[in-house]
Amino acid sequence: MTSAGSLTKSNWIKSNWIKSAGLGLGALVALAAQPAQAQGTLTVLCGVQEEWCKAIAVAFEKKTGTAVAMSRKSAGEALAQIRAESANPKTDVWWGGPGDPHLQAAEEGLTLAYESPQQADLQPWAQSQYKQSQGRSVGVYAGALGFVYNTELLGKRKIGAPKCWADLLRPEFRDEIQMANPNASGTAYTALATLVQILGEDGAFDYLRKLNDNVNQYTKSGSAPAAAAARSETLVGIVFMHDGINQKINGFPVDVAAPCEGTGYEIGSMSILKGTKNPDAAKAFYEFALSPEGQATGAETKQFQMPSNRKAAIPPEAPKLEAIRMIDYNFQKYGTAEERKRLLSRWDADIKAVAK
Amino acid sequence: MRPRSAVWLALGWVGFALLPWFAGSGTQPALAPPAPGPAGSALIDGLTSGRWWLLPVALPLLLALAVTALPGLRARQPAALLAGGAFGLAWVAAQGFAIGLDGWAWGWLGALFGPLPLGQGGFGAGAALTALSFLFLMTNGFAGLGFMKGDRFTAGAIGLVLAAIAAFVFLPVGYVLSGAGDTGTGGFSAGALWARLAAPDVWRLSCLTEAKSCGVVWNSVFLAVMTGIATTLLGLAFALVAVRTGFRAKKLLRVLTVLPIITPPFVISLAVILLFGRNGTVTLAMADWFGIPVSRWIYGLPGVLLTQTLAFTPISFLVMIGVVQGIGPSLEEAAQTLRASRWVTFRTVTWPLMRPGVANAFLISFIESLADFGNPLILGGNYEVLSTKIYFAVVGAQNDPGRAAALGIILLCLCLGAFWVQRQWLGKKSYATVGGKGDNGIPSQLPRGIKIAAYATALPWAAFTFVLYGLILFGGFTENWGRNNSLTLRHYLAAFDLSWGPNGLIWSGRAWGSLFTTIEVAALSAPLTAAVGLLTAYLLVRQSFKGRGAFEFLTMLSFTIPGTVIGISYILAFNQPPIELTGTVTILIVCFVFRNMPVSIRAGVAAMSQIDRSLDECSLTLGAGSVQTIRRVILPLLRPAIVASLVYSFVRAITSISAVIFLVSPKYELATAYIVGRVEQGDFGLAIAYSSALIVLMSVVIALIQFAVGERRIGRRAATPVTLQEKPV
Amino acid sequence: MSIASKAAGVEFRNVSRRYGSTAAVDDVSFSIEAGTLVTLLGPSGCGKTTTLRMIAGLEMASGGTILIGGKDVTRLPATDRNVTMVFQSYALFPHMSVADNVAYGLVVSGVRKRDAAARAAEGLELVGLGGYGQRLPSELSGGQQQRVAVARALVLEPEVLLFDEPLSNLDAKLRRKMRDDIRELQQKLGLTSVYVTHDQEEALAVSDRIIVMNKSVIAQTGTPDELYRRPNSRFVADFIGGANLIDGELVARGGGTATVALGRLTLSVPDPGLPAGGILLAVRPNAIRLRPAGADGGINGGGDGSGDGIPVTVRKATYLGSHMEYGLTSEFGDLFVVDPNVANPVPAGATALATFTGDGIAAVAR
Repeated sequence: MTSAGSLTKSNWIKSNWIKSAGLGLGALVALAAQPAQAQGTLTVLCGVQEEWCKAIAVAFEKKTGTAVAMSRKSAGEALAQIRAESANPKTDVWWGGPGDPHLQAAEEGLTLAYESPQQADLQPWAQSQYKQSQGRSVGVYAGALGFVYNTELLGKRKIGAPKCWADLLRPEFRDEIQMANPNASGTAYTALATLVQILGEDGAFDYLRKLNDNVNQYTKSGSAPAAAAARSETLVGIVFMHDGINQKINGFPVDVAAPCEGTGYEIGSMSILKGTKNPDAAKAFYEFALSPEGQATGAETKQFQMPSNRKAAIPPEAPKLEAIRMIDYNFQKYGTAEERKRLLSRWDADIKAVAK
Repeated sequence: MRPRSAVWLALGWVGFALLPWFAGSGTQPALAPPAPGPAGSALIDGLTSGRWWLLPVALPLLLALAVTALPGLRARQPAALLAGGAFGLAWVAAQGFAIGLDGWAWGWLGALFGPLPLGQGGFGAGAALTALSFLFLMTNGFAGLGFMKGDRFTAGAIGLVLAAIAAFVFLPVGYVLSGAGDTGTGGFSAGALWARLAAPDVWRLSCLTEAKSCGVVWNSVFLAVMTGIATTLLGLAFALVAVRTGFRAKKLLRVLTVLPIITPPFVISLAVILLFGRNGTVTLAMADWFGIPVSRWIYGLPGVLLTQTLAFTPISFLVMIGVVQGIGPSLEEAAQTLRASRWVTFRTVTWPLMRPGVANAFLISFIESLADFGNPLILGGNYEVLSTKIYFAVVGAQNDPGRAAALGIILLCLCLGAFWVQRQWLGKKSYATVGGKGDNGIPSQLPRGIKIAAYATALPWAAFTFVLYGLILFGGFTENWGRNNSLTLRHYLAAFDLSWGPNGLIWSGRAWGSLFTTIEVAALSAPLTAAVGLLTAYLLVRQSFKGRGAFEFLTMLSFTIPGTVIGISYILAFNQPPIELTGTVTILIVCFVFRNMPVSIRAGVAAMSQIDRSLDECSLTLGAGSVQTIRRVILPLLRPAIVASLVYSFVRAITSISAVIFLVSPKYELATAYIVGRVEQGDFGLAIAYSSALIVLMSVVIALIQFAVGERRIGRRAATPVTLQEKPV
Repeated sequence: MSIASKAAGVEFRNVSRRYGSTAAVDDVSFSIEAGTLVTLLGPSGCGKTTTLRMIAGLEMASGGTILIGGKDVTRLPATDRNVTMVFQSYALFPHMSVADNVAYGLVVSGVRKRDAAARAAEGLELVGLGGYGQRLPSELSGGQQQRVAVARALVLEPEVLLFDEPLSNLDAKLRRKMRDDIRELQQKLGLTSVYVTHDQEEALAVSDRIIVMNKSVIAQTGTPDELYRRPNSRFVADFIGGANLIDGELVARGGGTATVALGRLTLSVPDPGLPAGGILLAVRPNAIRLRPAGADGGINGGGDGSGDGIPVTVRKATYLGSHMEYGLTSEFGDLFVVDPNVANPVPAGATALATFTGDGIAAVAR
């Protein structure tokens, strides 16, 4: 080797280090520069079953040409996400899911007031959701609370189907009733509030204490008792009736009943998020979801809640609301955070603590 | 040295003066004349739009320019770069956090300085590049002062890893934990914190004295201990069968270890319900044949224990097999020449040497069980554990994130406590047995009783696992599993249908969207996880610096935090300026990288400890820089660890659920989130079909990765079993 | 093409290396001339390896200045120093062939592949391993691996070539050969080499100069001869070559020598530069000769029978072929003696007279 080849150790390495650093840097910058949200796409959190979510998104896209990015979230997840995002919302519309969390979002000022020209066509309960939320939310469908029971097992054991809340206390249902834990599930909270409204608070807790002997499990998900009844894991479940019908349609030997003493219901609601970056598209979706056309997407995907637009066709499988004795559910009172917390802690202390 | 600092300095100026400083408005082409307004660079925007607080960013850049360009100041360059970089970083961060979308982010600043007329958006390309430039100028300064052996790469890498961990682990976790004392009105009170931490439903012991349920902490701990014991015993039995007996089908055992890791959440629970539920196949058969009355025993502690044991036994096996293999046979031979019988040898030599492995396996299962979320959710019945309680505190009817944060703190303390105990326990005793490769003794056969016990435990369990998985695969093809078992392709078609439309192929199946996103996220995050993890492992093993122990502990932190807490914390931290990531695919990738990184680090540390340090020192003295050394010497020798981290992070990105359930956005839905939706709906068929497809997909990918990098291992060094630690879902 | 030398000197000025509060190297200064082989010698933990690693840049000095070829390299990382090292474990890359190992430093420095391969072959030729290039390190014997490590370090033409206990993994015979080969190569190529060992014999054999270190500081620096014959401390005397340490009394100095009283004997030793008073005599084992008592003791007229020697009892006598080793008991304590006289050994148990030869005795401070 001649001296011309004398080696300075790092001449080549430098370029290599810069090269690799440059690569990593490029990646980082690319990540950082990525626009946080594509403009023009409507972002919707969806609180109903996924099929329905997809169907309404496709129908809206077809009609307006606005692309919809739809994400299925349970009510609690949706509210948690909307709260967490509140400083800089990424969502435009929250569609579906029980009315309580929508009211809560309205109470916290997370949603926008908007009045639809179709307001007059809506069922009274849908309008009452609108009023209670000071215009920040509106009902899109309703679902009544009821029982789902496994007809096969009932037949085998020769037990009569439950028809009233009181029936659930019968000894033959010992260990055969499932309901969700109201601390986890909005469905079960609706049941709790319904019972409080029918029986009075002390009466309701007295009832629940007796019911506790018959309950085999407080599930975490609101619709889980319906699935359990369908698979014969339990005899009776306390659920929203449309969840039970869903299992029936899926081919399971179940049927649903509405309690004779009266029952509560959820108002599946819709809100536009404060801070939406696509207000026009959001309003367009809002209108579409209230229109008979938009509401028909539910029945098309075998979802049998009651549509809120009086002009919308009622699917024949849907539980007939006329046949159900609905209580005058006080959403205002039982939707507030304090009342909720109070009832839930009482349930935790009185019922959950003695659960098996 | 100067050229490199100069490059970073130049990039810093580019980020400050040319690139758009804020995100979201990045329509401005990078090299077009910068415009004022939010699309402009910090320089233009600061001068023209009244965002004066951006201008001080120029000060450290000017300082660095001066010491780099003026020969007279060169001697002071390292110190100046250090100070300038640190100031720059601090200023960029401070103004970013202090000034939000609509002015001051914290009220007291407004009270102090008066209201601010305008706010600012999240960091964009310019801010990112400038911050990075400051970071590397700072670390170059550090290295120039002789720290880190003067190695700029090491200093830079440590700086980068620390900054990333601070931004993507501490910041979010800090956000969520500070919520534990939230009073509900935005304030913080120690009283609220205490009330949440000491709540009776967390700690009560009423199950001991009366017929009430115990506090959720005791439930969790009891379950975790039971799971730990069960998985450790099973893992030990498997390891003994695999290493110390003539058992032929060892490959099957290998498959067994991989299966639960590539199983999407909920699937095992579903299969267990369909077998052992009140209407389950096994239950009904037992009732028919033996008259055992049907019951719901599976819901609650027994079911969760069973599924967790199914899920975590393989991990325990992987830990135990390493330990059992590591016992030098000559030690046992020595014992036997000292006239110890097989049994006495096992009892006095083999077993004591296995004890650290046993402790390790137990503690890993313990922590996994504490953080497990999917199995208690489906099978828990009325048995409440911390992980589900945290989830429902956030999403349930209570809507109490503060309570979730408090419970998160308790869970975190339990996990960290377990880690601490493990460290103490292992730190005090030395069980070094492997003297190297030169041990040519023959492993002694097991005593007869132990052998029978090992077989009797391991084989039925293995058979059970295989039956379960067979059923899962089969279930995807049945009309309505458990009810109508006629075969159908219905569920697969619903998920993965293809149709031919006028514009070509249409992915009409319902699962395609989430599947593509999932694969994209997994494929992007796996190499990043491996890279960050192995780099961190390199720093931990090869570089000695102050606070290395603390550094190592910090890197493990994200592993012990339950996924749900991480998910919530990521939304809280990254939804608003300065770092705005929600709704992007980036947040999913970042979450996976930092969540799965600890496993990558462990694999890297284990493998790198076996490579003699003199190899890389030698490479350094031969003129290769740290980058070259890593590329040419360390990486080729680390292939097994690379495979392990790639496989693990790929698989975990596909199967995790709890951390990402809050992070998936309409545009970026992930497979597991979709599957959970199907399970909730009771549509088990599609869920199982989708899961089976994922299991097959992951098996293929694992095989491909191993095929691509595996052959290098043949011959020279035996691959060390890398401890794959399953993450809480 | 040939492998040339770019040998440069090394200088340490008040260099320290601290870990927390303990110093591994404490305020050490020395200089090494270009083209010489200097050994850092000392017991384990004395700081010699740390010193070597500071020359390489693998450790950074906590204080002081390090110069190589007159240039300040104190803050320069290993990569940027033109210093190579032969490691105790050889540190051959197991996944590369022998040729790739030797070419490694050239390749990473940007030399074209073909030139690098040619120079690697040349380097292997130089250490006598031509034709072994395509083997894997694991297919070579220990001595061959050692040579590969040397070749790999040589082909970069370093300013300084470092050896970290390079022979400690070899058997005794191979060690001797390798150490001669290394010395020969170093002299042939005129390399500056720094060599770390704890084996004093190895140090004496290969070095131009030796730096003896003890407890983080330099104990003594000098040529092998100086250190052996004129140790300046009890530690150096004992560590290099071994010595019987006997209490004595320095009575007079002058003309480069000193007079030491040992019992009734007076001995003349090189001037240690110490004041008169109690000193230690370091007596090399081969500086004592044995005479059977009575053989001629009485004849020489010293009425007391001792004359120029001291009476001893032979505790142990070991025959080693080329010499005898004796363990003796005397009024000055136990003595260890190596005696070339194997023809008439003194048997164990016998009494004898031990006499001191002029050479191989030094006075050091107590």
